[in-house]
Parts: sequence; structure tokens; C-alpha cells
Amino acid sequence: MRHIISILLENEAGALSRVSGLFSARGYNIESLTVAPTDDSTVSRITVVTEGSDEVILQIVNQLNKLVDVVKVLDLTADEHIEREVLLLKLHDNGASKAVIETLTNDYKGRVVSDSKDAIVVEITGVGEKLDRAIQLVPSEIVFELVRSGALGIAAGKQILKLESM
Amino acid sequence: MQQALAKEENHPLAGTKMTGSDIIVQVLAQEGTDVIFGYSGGAILPTYDAVFRFNAETNESMPLIVPANEQGAGFMASGYARASGKVGVVMVTSGPGATNTVTPVRDCMADSTPIVVICGQVPTPAIGSDGFQEAPIANIMGAVAKHIFLITDPTKLEATIRTAFEIARTGRPGPVVIDIPKDVQNWEGVFQGKGQLPIRGYRERIDEIAENLLADEDCESFYAAFAKSKRPLIYAGGGVINANAHAEMCKFADKFSIPVVTTLMGIGACDTTQPLSLHMLGMHGTAFANYAVDDCDFLIAIGARFDDRVAAVPPKFAPNAKFIAHFDIDPSEIHKVKTVDWHHVGLLPQAMNKLLDFGVNKAKISSDFSDWHSHVADLKSTYAMNYDKNSEYIQPYAVIEELNKHAKGEAVISTGVGQHQMWAAQYFDFKSPRLWLTSGSMGTMGFGLPAAIGAQFAKPNLVVIDIDGDASIRMNLGDLETVTTYKLPIKVVVLNNLGDGMVKQWQKLFFKGRLSASDKSLHMKDFVKAAEADGYKYAVRLENKTELSKVIKEFMEFKGPAFIEVMIDPDAGVYPMVGPGMTFDQMITGDYIPSRTAKVDTKTEVDSSEMF
Repeated sequence: MRHIISILLENEAGALSRVSGLFSARGYNIESLTVAPTDDSTVSRITVVTEGSDEVILQIVNQLNKLVDVVKVLDLTADEHIEREVLLLKLHDNGASKAVIETLTNDYKGRVVSDSKDAIVVEITGVGEKLDRAIQLVPSEIVFELVRSGALGIAAGKQILKLESM
Repeated sequence: MQQALAKEENHPLAGTKMTGSDIIVQVLAQEGTDVIFGYSGGAILPTYDAVFRFNAETNESMPLIVPANEQGAGFMASGYARASGKVGVVMVTSGPGATNTVTPVRDCMADSTPIVVICGQVPTPAIGSDGFQEAPIANIMGAVAKHIFLITDPTKLEATIRTAFEIARTGRPGPVVIDIPKDVQNWEGVFQGKGQLPIRGYRERIDEIAENLLADEDCESFYAAFAKSKRPLIYAGGGVINANAHAEMCKFADKFSIPVVTTLMGIGACDTTQPLSLHMLGMHGTAFANYAVDDCDFLIAIGARFDDRVAAVPPKFAPNAKFIAHFDIDPSEIHKVKTVDWHHVGLLPQAMNKLLDFGVNKAKISSDFSDWHSHVADLKSTYAMNYDKNSEYIQPYAVIEELNKHAKGEAVISTGVGQHQMWAAQYFDFKSPRLWLTSGSMGTMGFGLPAAIGAQFAKPNLVVIDIDGDASIRMNLGDLETVTTYKLPIKVVVLNNLGDGMVKQWQKLFFKGRLSASDKSLHMKDFVKAAEADGYKYAVRLENKTELSKVIKEFMEFKGPAFIEVMIDPDAGVYPMVGPGMTFDQMITGDYIPSRTAKVDTKTEVDSSEMF
């Protein structure tokens, strides 16, 4: 099953590579991995999307907890949570694009964030599946390039992943 | 653990300005370091100088022991740590000095041995410039060590060194590497005399485990199942020794008269000369230990992890056990290989004490396992270890038995890896823990000699014997001279079967006898001359079976470094053997130990890709 795991990580040299290295060394999948600073400058937050049986996911969480730089681990999948990902689509500006862009902006709440004579960039935010559907909608011949951010996740309700909650 | 945590109150030098190197040495002293194993080089020179100056002022209280190769330093520290329970310390230079310690660092990780490795690094501004003797140690070691620190902020140096010791010895022990650029060593700052890094997540998790005491409800459910058991068995691993919980575990086992099998790493957790000790289980365990595992109805795994050398086929391991209980300090080991019915993650001595107390005073267990005991005694006598006693060749088992008469279960035994390692595990007695030093999980050839050196520094009053093979000892042969240089009374035994015996055994069993690259009979090495050249006053080759007990006696009684090479039966095998992917009832017991099942066909072609 697909799991979305959030990790608070000490901002130390090599900490990120130990997290990603753990996944490769133990043969776990990474569907996406994002990392960015938090409101506390001493820690970063990683969101990793992975796939595995319950046993494998338990091992991933347990093994992450053995890394000294890992401050906290939370498997968001267990409870209600919000997941978001950003997609940037760079499209040819030709007749065929017009209708597609209209669908993306109307049905997928996309925004045109750059419009030059050579290309149009559309930004869409949503869960991974929504972005998958959006991408399928666009004929490959009008796509210059696309880039996805990887998923971000946050628990719904009162549950938080912060140092204060420790 | 055993080693006292750093005394933090009012260090006499607190407030003094000193160099980074002097700070490193002061913290090492504060952490109880009484020996450093290492090899010098450009990027660590300032700290070597600080050690020299410290020793000049303190009557050589922290001697620097120099190996032939930095790998030896790592294994010396490992031998020291395993024999003493304290943190072993390694100090090496950047680049090749540091990369040569990768193998011992991984070895320590795999066997949960606490060491701290201090590596010099090129100066901070030169990092990433492909400088002379530069290697990305944080990247390399990050993948194999319990933790790695690269010190870029010299003001954190002192706290980092102290924290490295804390991480090495707490929880499941392991190796911690500290990469220290030369400019950080030369930096000048004020020595605080105390302070650690926050390591918030780690410390919180360690505290949580330490505070997780065995609850009454857990004891109740344990004893509810135990009360129904007629054939309980303890399966003890290296965790019992690492946790210094052998006394508590044995008290519990003795109180309820529960037989004990140990893993390779757990040897010595329970006195092997006692009737309820069944010695080692697993791939080369005793037949009676493995049969007892098959026959038990209640298995108590203590500080053991169902490794593939023990439970090759996890679903068929302990097939008759209606209940498996598992004690460990590492939450990730619970259900990792084998799903258990009951588990406790916490400090072992406390848990064993609580379990015993609850069993005696609350559950009021009155156990009578006399049927099981007589069954176990039958297994021990029927399937006893045995070998070809009439062979014209010297049998390796006989050599170990002869050595054992002198060692009496009280000597430190280190080994290389291969057949000689398994024979030593099978035929030596150990009356207490921390006497048996072997590379268990990593299986690193070359471990034995340097580990013996480290152990002799930890236990200067004990007899230390390195049981080695002709192939294993070659891997760190340079340290033969380290023994004599430091005048260590270590006894080195080379069981020479002219090759990689264990590899040959597998090739005979599973590769139709094609001895690819494992036959060393063409080698020119004269081990006795080599030992003599390195200053051994006792260096003897034993080739005649009739001289075995005489030579072993003079070897064991010799004062000072002693070396013997024993020309053993080149075809001697390690039995019993549970083949890769096989269950205990498919155990091959060889020609001299009876088997409980019909003879297993060893000629079956096993897919070699499946075996390891």
C-alpha cells in the first residue's frame, strides 16, 4: 500500500543522504521525496511517499527512528491527512493548446503562470492522482516539459509534527 | 552501560584556552579512554601531537597502539570493546587512513560493538577540492556506521566528541565516526569540561526505551503462556552480553530450570559447562541445540534477532513452539524476521529481574520440567559433538579440545572467519561473557589477530588466544609483529588446512567439488619463519598427531608471545551443518554425529544464486 511519511530531520551535514541512503540500502521504494526548511531553523521536514506491505512500512518507520539525525517520524497514512503536489506544465502555444489549457484552468483549477510567445506554463496543485489525470489529458505533442514537486503532507485535525509536540 | 558516563562536575581544566586537538584528548580522557588504536598521517598530526603531550604529562595513561594497517586498529578497538564492555577508540588520518577503517566500522555495526573512530580530514576550505588524502568520509561512513559527525563548526567540537561516546554506548551499541578537519584541530577555544549536543530525537527515543519497564500485565500474559509450557527454551543472543544482562538472565533460567541455547554472538551468556547449556544453535550449531529448538514448545528469544544463520527458514524455525517471546532493545528487531507472540523492548537486566520476581512472587510458578530435562540430556548424549578420532591426520577439533583443557573456559578466544571459527565456537568452553570475540554478522576474515591485541589491552591478566586459519591470518598478517612490538603474551594458533576451508566445504557440497580459487596448497608462505622474523621466541609447526598434547602444553605454558601452526586434516569439515535455505530437521550431521532424520541427500543441486 502507498504510504506518505513525514520526517523531521536535524539540519546537519549528510543527514538527508542518510535518510535516502537508508531507503536504497534496505531496498525500500521512494515514489517521491521532498525536503525543505521549517519554521524552526534547526530542523528540515522531509515528506517521502513510499509503497510497501504493513511489515515493510513498519520496518521503514523503525529504521528511520534509528537514525540519530531523525527527530520525529509520522506515518500520515494512518490517519486523516491532506496531501498536495504542484505540477508545472510547459506547453506549446498553438491552436491545439487553447482548449486543453481551458480545461486545465476550469476543471483542474490550473493557473497560467507564464505566457510568452514560445510557451505557456500552467501550474496545477492537487493530490497526485489529480495531477496524473491532468497529465493524461494533455496530448504529448504539445508538451515541452513537465515537472512535479513530489507530495507534501500534513495531518488533519490536532495532530502535529513539530518539536513542541515532543 | 558499564563505563561511567563522563564526569561533568567541575573539570579542573574548564575555562582553559586550548587547541581543538587538546580538547579532543581531554574529552577522550574524561570518557575513560585508556588506550587508542591508530595510525598517524598528515591530517591527524595535530591530534597525535596532543596525545603525545598528554601522555608525557600523565605517565603514558593513553598509549597509542599502532597496527600494520588501519583496519587492524579498527579490529583492535573492537576486540577491546567486546572484551571490556567499554568504548574502543580509533584514531586515523584522512583519506586512506579513514577508508581502511570502513570494514571494522561496518563489522562493529553488524555486531553492535561500541567504538569511536576519530578521522583527520583535509582543512575545511579544502573539502570538496579533491585534495591530497581527501575522501568523503561522511558519505562513506554514513552508510555503515551508527552515526557520523563531520565537524565544521569548531565550537561544537567538544560537545560532539562527548556525544559520540554517548551514541556509541547507548541503546543498541555501535560505531560512531567523527571526521575532524585539520583546521578544527588547530583552532583555539575555551574548554568547557562538559556539555553534549542536543540529539533530540535520539535521546528521547533512548530514554523512552530505558523507561519502558516490564509491566505487570506483560508478566501476566508471559506466565499465562509459560504455565502451559512443558518444554521451554531460552534462545540467547549477543544482546544479553551487550546489555551486561547475563547474570540476570541466568538467574531467571536457573530459577525455572530452562535450558539455554546461544547464538554465535551469545556464546558465554551462559556457562557452557552447565548441564542446561546446550551451546550454540544455527547453521553450525550443535545437533542437540538445534533439535531442542525443534522440540521446544515455548521459545524465549533474548537479545537475539532470528538471523539467517539461525533461522534460515523463519516460518519453520521452532516449528513446535506455541508461544515465542522476544526481548530486545531495538524496536526494529521485533517482528522483523519472525512474528512473535509477545515482546518487550527495554533494558534487559531490569526486565529479567522483573520477570523473575513476578514469576516467583506473583505468578507463583512452580515449574517441573523434569521430562524435558531428561529429553535434553538424551539429546546431549545421543547427538554429542564427535569426529574421526582414528584419522592419521591431526583433527582440528582435537586441537581445540586440547587447548580447552588449558584454557578451562576462562581464556579470551578470538577468531578469524571460516571453519576454524566454527570449530572454536563448537569445542571451546566459556564460563563467562566477553571471552568469545568473533566477527559474527559481517564474517570478516582477518578479525582474529588484531581483536586479540585489543582484548589483551582490555584484559591484561587474562590468557588471550587467537584461533586463526591460514587464509584468515594472512588478511592482517602484519599485526603478528604488533603483538611482539608491544610484548603482548598473546597465543596465536594457525589451523592450516592449505586453503579457504569453509569455501572448499561449500564447493564440495554445492559446486561438485570445483575448488575455484580456494586451494592454497601452492602458496610459499612459511608461517613459522614469518613468526620468527617478527620476534616470536616460541614459533612451532605441529605436524605429528602424537605430539599434540605435548606441544599444546608447552605452547600454553610459554610466557610471552607464542605462535603455533598446526597442519590439520585438509578435508576436515564443519558439522553439523544446516545448509542454506534448509530447516533444522534437514541438518547434515556428518559421518560421526548421528542424525535424527534419514540421511539428507547433500548432492542435491542447490541454485547457487539462492545461497549465501
